[in-house]
Amino acid sequence: MIDSPTMLKALISIIAAAGAIIIVVPTIRFLRDVVPFAYPTARVRARMGRLFTDRQLTEVMETENLREFKNYLRGFPDYAKYIDEYPIEKALESQLAEIYQLITEIAPKRIKKVFEAQFKKWDIKNIKSLLTAKDTGLSPEETTNLLIPFGELKDKLKKLTDLKTVQDIITALEDTEYGPILEAALSDYEKTRMLLPFEAALDKYYMETILEVLEELSIPKEDAEILRTYFGAQIDATNLKIILRAKADNLKYEDISPYIIPESYQLPEWKLEYLMEAEDIKGIINELEGTDYGPILAEALPEYEETGSLATFERALEKYINETARTFALKRPLGVGPIITFLSRKEAEIKNLKVIARTKREPSFPEPILKEMLI
Amino acid sequence: MVEITLGTAMAAVGAGIAIAFAGFGSAMAQGNVAAASVGAVAEKPEMFARGIIFTALPETQAIYGFLIGILVIVFSGILGGGKALGTTGGIIALSAGLAIGVAGFGSAIAQGNVAAGSVGAVTENPEMFARGIIFTALPETQAIYGFLIAILLLVGGVMGGG
Repeated sequence: MIDSPTMLKALISIIAAAGAIIIVVPTIRFLRDVVPFAYPTARVRARMGRLFTDRQLTEVMETENLREFKNYLRGFPDYAKYIDEYPIEKALESQLAEIYQLITEIAPKRIKKVFEAQFKKWDIKNIKSLLTAKDTGLSPEETTNLLIPFGELKDKLKKLTDLKTVQDIITALEDTEYGPILEAALSDYEKTRMLLPFEAALDKYYMETILEVLEELSIPKEDAEILRTYFGAQIDATNLKIILRAKADNLKYEDISPYIIPESYQLPEWKLEYLMEAEDIKGIINELEGTDYGPILAEALPEYEETGSLATFERALEKYINETARTFALKRPLGVGPIITFLSRKEAEIKNLKVIARTKREPSFPEPILKEMLI
Repeated sequence: MVEITLGTAMAAVGAGIAIAFAGFGSAMAQGNVAAASVGAVAEKPEMFARGIIFTALPETQAIYGFLIGILVIVFSGILGGGKALGTTGGIIALSAGLAIGVAGFGSAIAQGNVAAGSVGAVTENPEMFARGIIFTALPETQAIYGFLIAILLLVGGVMGGG
């Protein structure tokens, strides 16, 4: 029996302090990481339940023509509101942009900046469309049909549409964050009269902005790892697509190096340079052994050899990113996992619907070929 | 005024721990599930009833803590009228409070996370409701263990006149 009151008081104090330190503090830290995701995760999972099932995708594929395709989509409130308002591609893209906007709004504060940076993709897409439209001399109405009414530049789009030349667009954007990037690429454009320097510079800026934000974030390492894997794979895929295309066109590394994003994930810049020294595309794939991309591209190689289309590799890489992202919701169900899984699946759904919509313009497009074109 | 012996003081701390830890765990858990439920209802208003059910589940730990706290207070003489509790009885009352407090805290936090996950799963696929309830109920057992041990401690050590 303990008789000394001092000893007992000490015992109680120790129990209370140990309880607080061992139990409460780590739990609160854990909850601080998890609770902010409860609301967005539930909303995202509700949206995931509305993604097209395989059966629904088959039904869309079986529609006879574009009119039937649109009618089918009218049965889904998410798409219905855009179908009658815009041309089909713009309608689908607008639905996707709406999803990105929603994620930006509901994402937990600690991670919001990543999705805000990702939301810039709509500004970048619109700038590219504006530059293409002005370069090819499209009318304001035709230009409007290419623009997605989302992003920070949304309110300026009408004014930008009415401008006449590529130079006018760049001047009008000079007070935005894209101004200096476009200015820097202007001399290349003037030399080559190709839009590629603008497009590559904007893509590079987009990815580098995301990477910068990722560096600054103070989030649990599991969430950070998911984000690094997802965006890192996107950068690798972008770089690989450039390398494969450059090899197919017999270009040198110096020709494409301005378009390469150096901060990659599995493929550092020296490795990309090394890949370009391979004899041909088959050689590049052999050199990728030991990375995730080697087996994926090797599997797509026979189809490439048969068709000669680099789209085969591009699809294989997109499928890989999509399949990797699908696992995140299971790996980190109470963190950023479901959000990334949903965004990736939604991207794939929209890409597939765009491909199907395109084929519906051609009478009796063969279904087996269409199936192969889907992600 | 009640004479506060060391035993009574420890019993008071035990009662406090019982409801404080269990209640804190329940509150955190319910906040977590409620946030998930609000998200679910924002997308699917028909999720309201199911959200309420999942949100209510982590309440039980607070109830267990509350009951043990009341039993400790009633039988330790804190309210007056009874014999002041001895030191041994006080230690037992404190242990009872710790048993349900800590077990309830852990159980509630775990249940809250499973329930929040289940809300998401049911929102995505309504057929997941029954399975979600089963998974959510599983972490309840630890709180029940804590509750039973606390009751046994009180019956043996405090209610018997320790």
